[in-house]
Amino acid sequence: MSAPLISLHGLTKRYGSFTAVDGVSLDVAAGSICGLLGPNGAGKTTTFKCLLGFAKPSAGTIAIEGAPLSPSTFETLAYVPERASLYDNLTIADHLTLYRRSYKHYDDARAHELLALFSLDPKQKAQRLSKGMRTAAALTLAFSIRPRVLILDEPSSGLDPIHQRHVLDLMIDAAANGAGVLFSSHQVGQVERAADSVAIMKSGKLIVSSVIDDLKSGEKVIEAVFAGPVPDLGDLASDPRVVRIEQNGSMVRAVTRDDSDGVAGRLFALHPKSIRTIDLNLEEIFMNAVSEGTH
Amino acid sequence: MPTIFTVDPRSGVPLYVQLTEQIKRAIALGMLAPGEQLPTVKALALELTVNPNTVARVYRELERDGVIDTSPGRGSFVRGDVAGSEARRAVADVARAAFEIAVREAKSLGLSREETLELTARTIARWYETETESQ
Repeated sequence: MSAPLISLHGLTKRYGSFTAVDGVSLDVAAGSICGLLGPNGAGKTTTFKCLLGFAKPSAGTIAIEGAPLSPSTFETLAYVPERASLYDNLTIADHLTLYRRSYKHYDDARAHELLALFSLDPKQKAQRLSKGMRTAAALTLAFSIRPRVLILDEPSSGLDPIHQRHVLDLMIDAAANGAGVLFSSHQVGQVERAADSVAIMKSGKLIVSSVIDDLKSGEKVIEAVFAGPVPDLGDLASDPRVVRIEQNGSMVRAVTRDDSDGVAGRLFALHPKSIRTIDLNLEEIFMNAVSEGTH
Repeated sequence: MPTIFTVDPRSGVPLYVQLTEQIKRAIALGMLAPGEQLPTVKALALELTVNPNTVARVYRELERDGVIDTSPGRGSFVRGDVAGSEARRAVADVARAAFEIAVREAKSLGLSREETLELTARTIARWYETETESQ
């Protein structure tokens, strides 16, 4: 395996006594898309700022394509901030000209393909663009340099559902061509669709980092209903495969992180009247993780 | 290849499991013929708007199960020799799992063995007769 395209190790950022990012380690390999989820204030944007050198980490290391940040990093790295930064008095075409002069791998044909895809008029000045159009223009610029590393902060904010789908397709196309993508989103469904791995942050800490399909394979709810009151469950709550147990009258729900069949077997041995396994989607896994804390 | 797959990323069933099952089913039903070429990982990922690594994982599973052959530079093909039987077996696995769940559900809803047997017989009569009539 070659070095990951994006690599964070023990990244920590403190502002005075406030720790915005707390010991985050994360790798994004070539060909991979990682979706970063977390409630507002979880530290996602600060993580991006550190990754891009806009903020100096208090501790930890950052490597892009296996090397620390340097001016040459930015020849192959594209970043789209949550609020697209464009020059208000310049047209979209002017921005493309700037990019043509600044980036070695700038691809004019690709840029015009993307303008058409997002229905953008190159003669429009940035100040005349709506929020969604600004995002689309920033994405056009980002993908026009044929980046190997993409860092996108809420890349579809303000876009209509069709253009949102285009953004996912652009990420998928880039990853299929060997790029590494890290993007944050509040829309769990986008991460579920486009990403192969997910990172969930809460209060500056990385609380989940996993391949999405592996998370879905492991995290289930086993629901058992008994004829009378729930019998003694023994040490089920401390079973390492179990995240937590909820009891309600004659019903037990066990949330598992691994080997749900094994946990179901333990419950089945207590002779429930009924038992079933419920699959959890990423939104439910996310809500569980954020309300639960670390696992 | 026509669009014959639909995956639901919002489901709790892992995407690679959904897509692997669907491709096996398509082969068993003859929608994908022996020797037929599958789309590239990138093409299928873009067609379904799902992650390319997920599609690559599906192709690895299918290769491991002996359902497709992948040769570097040429692409992935439905196996000509064993594809039919391998895919049939795979589909039988899917059907067995679904049947298992149905019977378990019947039991946990309090149906007796006899009631479940009768229900099974009635269901078989309904579906298999319909099939004979329409042929």
